Amino acid sequence: MTGMIQGGWEFVWAVYGITWAGLFFYALHLFRSERDQ
Amino acid sequence: MKANWEIGVGLFGLILLIWAHYTGLFVAPPEAMMGDVGRILYAHVPTAWVGLSTYLVAFIAAVGAIWSGKWAWDAMVEASVEVGLLLNALLLIQGSLWAKPTWGVYWTWDPRLTTCAIMVVAFGVVLALRRQIEEPMRRLTMSSIATIIAFVNVPIVYLSVKWWRTLHQPYSSPETVDSAMVTPLRVAAFGMLFLATGFVVRRWRQVHRQLKAEVQAPDLPDAPSPLAVED
Repeated sequence: MTGMIQGGWEFVWAVYGITWAGLFFYALHLFRSERDQ
Repeated sequence: MKANWEIGVGLFGLILLIWAHYTGLFVAPPEAMMGDVGRILYAHVPTAWVGLSTYLVAFIAAVGAIWSGKWAWDAMVEASVEVGLLLNALLLIQGSLWAKPTWGVYWTWDPRLTTCAIMVVAFGVVLALRRQIEEPMRRLTMSSIATIIAFVNVPIVYLSVKWWRTLHQPYSSPETVDSAMVTPLRVAAFGMLFLATGFVVRRWRQVHRQLKAEVQAPDLPDAPSPLAVED
């Protein structure tokens, strides 16, 4: 399609990777805080 | 079992989010102008919606804390600001990574981006204040006031795309998003909402326990007076 941005999957993977990593590490932080209490 | 209902809510959110992200990445069509880069929508928009909603919870909790002086509200301020900050930080990173292929730069001082950056700093100050102030009631008051002040910016963030000329696209809604994209977007939003609810409630329980223990702790005995040295 004319004008459509081509490629860019590396940005898509980076966004999803960072999002899931952020959520995972926060869940881990909650788990560790629970254990420390 | 009742005390752990938030784990079930969080796990349900997780399942919804996995399905929605899979569908957004591999099933939904590419966006008409942005192509595959447009798939960032399914991560970015739910993060924004739920992040702003979490700050709304923090604002309500701050008003409740000042009004009642109850530790439960105070714990909710900390829990919701913490989760809001996580989503806010993710939002800024996602936005920067989306800006590069579409706008050509990772960052520009656009009204939406600038107000979002101010938001992360303002709510970061709230958490910093809570770490700094040791006296519980003073901490409740000061951090609640800081939360209310920080929240003033939240509607500005939301309305910035309407009030000012901006590179950022206007609000996303079912009217502005193709029907093939609406379902994964909605499911991702509910998934993120349930997951964030699980996080906030779990964190609230932890902070509430800490606060109650802190307030109920017996006073320490007076420190011994310094030895007098006689000549």
